[in-house]
Amino acid sequence: MKKILVIGSGPIVIGQAAEFDYAGTQACKSLREEGYEVVLVNSNPATIMTDEETADRVYIEPLTVEFCERVIARERPDGLLPTLGGQTGLNLASQLAEQGILERYGVRLLGTQLDAIRKAEDRELFRALMREIKQPVPESWIVESDSELEALLDVVPYPCIVRPAYTLGGTGGGVVYSREELWETGRKGLKLSMRSQIMLERSLLGWKEVEYEVMRDGKGNCITVCNMENLDPMGVHTGDSIVVAPSQTLSDVEYHMLRNASLRIIEALKIEGGCNVQLAVNPDSFDYYVIEVNPRVSRSSALASKATGYPIARVAAKIAVGKTLEQIENAVTKTTKACFEPALDYVVVKIPRWPFDKFPGGDRRLSTQMKATGEVMAIDRTFEAALLKAVRGLEVKAKGLDSWHPQGEDSTNGDASDALRAALAQPTDERLWALAEALRRGWSVEEVNRVSRVDPWFLRKIQGIVRAGSPGHPRQDGDATEGSVYKMVDTCAGEFESFTPYFYATAESEDDAATVLERRPAAAVVAME
Amino acid sequence: MTGKTVVVLGSGPIRIGQGIEFDYSCVHCVWALQEMGHRAVIVNNNPETVSTDFDTGDALYFEPVTLPDVLSVVAHEEADGVMVQFGGQTAINLAEGLAAAGAHVLGTPPEAIAAAEDRGQFDALLARLGVPRPPGRAVRSLDEARAAAEEVGYPVLVRPSFVLGGRAMEIVQGPADLEGFYREADAANPGQPVLVDQYIVGTEVEVDVVSDGVDTLVPGIMEHIDRAGIHSGDSMTVYPPVGLSREVEARVVEVACGIARALGVRGLMNVQFVVDGEGTVFVIEVNPRASRTVPYLSKVTGVPMVRLATRCALGESLASLGYGSGLWCSPEDGRTGYVATEAEILQGVRQAGLFAVKAPVFSFQKLGHVDPALGPEMKSTGEVLGVDFTYEAALYKALVASGVVFKPRGQVILTVADDDKPAAVAIGRRLHERGYPIGATGGTHDALAAAGVPSERLGKVQEGSPNLLERLFEGRVSLMVNTPGRAEQATREAARIRRACIETGVACVTSIDTARALADALDVFEYPSPACCLTLGEYLRPAPSHPPAEPADSIA
Repeated sequence: MKKILVIGSGPIVIGQAAEFDYAGTQACKSLREEGYEVVLVNSNPATIMTDEETADRVYIEPLTVEFCERVIARERPDGLLPTLGGQTGLNLASQLAEQGILERYGVRLLGTQLDAIRKAEDRELFRALMREIKQPVPESWIVESDSELEALLDVVPYPCIVRPAYTLGGTGGGVVYSREELWETGRKGLKLSMRSQIMLERSLLGWKEVEYEVMRDGKGNCITVCNMENLDPMGVHTGDSIVVAPSQTLSDVEYHMLRNASLRIIEALKIEGGCNVQLAVNPDSFDYYVIEVNPRVSRSSALASKATGYPIARVAAKIAVGKTLEQIENAVTKTTKACFEPALDYVVVKIPRWPFDKFPGGDRRLSTQMKATGEVMAIDRTFEAALLKAVRGLEVKAKGLDSWHPQGEDSTNGDASDALRAALAQPTDERLWALAEALRRGWSVEEVNRVSRVDPWFLRKIQGIVRAGSPGHPRQDGDATEGSVYKMVDTCAGEFESFTPYFYATAESEDDAATVLERRPAAAVVAME
Repeated sequence: MTGKTVVVLGSGPIRIGQGIEFDYSCVHCVWALQEMGHRAVIVNNNPETVSTDFDTGDALYFEPVTLPDVLSVVAHEEADGVMVQFGGQTAINLAEGLAAAGAHVLGTPPEAIAAAEDRGQFDALLARLGVPRPPGRAVRSLDEARAAAEEVGYPVLVRPSFVLGGRAMEIVQGPADLEGFYREADAANPGQPVLVDQYIVGTEVEVDVVSDGVDTLVPGIMEHIDRAGIHSGDSMTVYPPVGLSREVEARVVEVACGIARALGVRGLMNVQFVVDGEGTVFVIEVNPRASRTVPYLSKVTGVPMVRLATRCALGESLASLGYGSGLWCSPEDGRTGYVATEAEILQGVRQAGLFAVKAPVFSFQKLGHVDPALGPEMKSTGEVLGVDFTYEAALYKALVASGVVFKPRGQVILTVADDDKPAAVAIGRRLHERGYPIGATGGTHDALAAAGVPSERLGKVQEGSPNLLERLFEGRVSLMVNTPGRAEQATREAARIRRACIETGVACVTSIDTARALADALDVFEYPSPACCLTLGEYLRPAPSHPPAEPADSIA
């Protein structure tokens, strides 16, 4: 095998942004390191991956089956790496395979195979596989008559989601909290559905949402790169959630339970490369459900790579051409291998950046449809410091967790303001400020948790920030150097020597960066080819 | 000069108006610094980017791009200089503060950046150069805004100063609408003046230039192929221009070079122009930094713009790098590329052997309650590029890549302003001869009928059945040509039509010239095999016989 085709993700749209340029660029470099010739197709010119410096043969052509076939016919690549171009790249690769084009030109699919991708993405196949390996998926029932509905009234768990099949925009559905509500909404749904069919599914609203980034090679070695916890409980798209890495509110038992589940899933799917597993955890018990698996690099894997220093796309590309985890060097330490799980001695916070400043009339409510165009990440030694640093980097009006007033608030209403309560219950781009405002007004952590379902641990931290008065951004006043030193992201929490100058600031006393910087030669000619 | 430590500022989180393009520029700046033997240090807080890959720079500080955080890194690194022109508005906004705190801002000096962004200073500079801009004023109250609008005449463009991506920018048709839009613009950037300018109808033209403070290279001229008044980020553009006279091209180059020299630009600068019906070239905006068109222009001209800009910012001259003042003309027919002077442009030059059409891509279906009508405020999240040896094929590729679905033998709907009716008749006749069914609204239908071109008479949006929206939603339309007049009613209708086209994936063209090109491109849509499928390098440096025949193993 000499020549490999990589398909990019096309134009930037909400839900598919710069992370695929990062992943694709890394993969191209990684494959060329291994001596392969890389052919790249992408219609998006504003990318590094479409540089003649990044790939050997660059096609800026439409990402359609027709043009990809023409590229394949001209270039005759030996392999195709489909898992780096987001859903666009994956869909296109599937179409090329299904239409027999890959077979006709003798192109082999590299990395995770199509049937594994299908098992991960097809709802029914995925559920069957999960049942096979005894991993819980949210229970669901198909109902086609009033009598079937009646028989289920005492069977289904509440709250429960009702989804009428074949109605425009899902009209008539919703969350029900009791058997009476289910009876009413369910019968209405059956009438509204053109096929007289509804689906009932266990509602996980308010559960914790946790993700694991896992890697597996062709020999079956698996590791978890890191886990991440959403500050926003289930019900908000991960891309629209505030995300913390590593998880902060899981017990050791829960952490390992979910880690084992993730590893079993990637093993059962026979993923060769990177994979993202999303899980929902009951805050009051050890119950959990598997929500979704992304059998490819994703926005979450980009975040995990930056959060840990572990280059997921680079390693995934090498796995795709047959390398195993213990053969791949850890590019940060240069002394350890890619089979070492990263260790973090800091906290990472990601906050999404939404376009509502551009669209003042837009619907700011957050749910399962992603709305953010981008995100910021901040690294620091504590959750509080990382959260405040992320807020400061958002480039929005608020520079910290400043006082905030919900729309339509009646000022005479005081602390029990209904508007504030609504702002806590309904996730929007401003909910973080609503949480801080409620705690500033003296609402108890228990009360805020009850309304927002945000974990009390996060709330107590936010309470600490607002109680400390003006949020602790020590370098806000322009005094640049006071009280900050730089620490390293080294993938191993200082266990091994590390050479990569990847730094973050923190208000401590010992500067790790100084030692790394001293090691470099005085003239520091680090020319890059 | 080698061995310096240079801090390169990134552009922070991706938002509408400040996207992935700035990551491209930052990374290329880092590569250029490394190639020169310097140490490149990155400050950025966006986890999605290549610039925050730990092996892109010589050091990465994962920190917010704010003044205190950057100053802290500069101190820690004992940096010799800071590069602010590649990280979008986020980075350039720090120039003044960095300089005030004693950091060395590389490239265009902070005073020059301020002079380009301050209305009064910039007007004075243009006046000195004898370059017109649309008449207007910076105002600080509604009364002043009213007076300014009366003075220059409606329609006027109202916008806040010092904001990104045309936020809160509006075209105001008459006095009744002025107050609302003034308040919006004022609220967008409180404490700063609001700009009220005459809105000039014409063709918009854009250049990104590299300057060493004396000489200025114009790598290419981009022509917007949507009507003026649509934000440059949302407009389709073509390189090289297809509808500009030699005189206009020479004038654009002359003005861009003059402004760069007068400001003392060292590095990149973006200039936007509008050309009115008489061919007068007005300057509408200057950004003394890398813009969103730099990546695509670098690729289709073959000029390594960021590399040149980085070297100029560090004191090298364009002449020493093998370039000079003027317009870059790509290698062609065995000739090497060269820089054409204004005199040469006036005699006629060919900028490139290829055509590149940039088309915007939107995410409206993800955002509820958002009006997809395009105007001076940017709304697209991304872009695609169509490249080919003919304008028609490039246009076809850009539209297909942006998600437009073409229905073979579908109806072409024409609804055009009075000025465009003769051109619409010519387009209609060609379409009819090729067998396309035509739909047209009232006036356009009459014009076609008078010229003997048959068409189905369709109602406008608010008129009864059959109207053009119904046809769109029935999925029977291949192409929508809508050039709205200036009346408010037409503007509102155009908004609804545009929305319906986005929802149904139908190509919607708002300028009659683009319609003409697209009518030709319809053939390519139906029989795409003449469109090429080549690497970027093959388009840029074609063998002398190009455009080539398709290779034997092609599937055509």
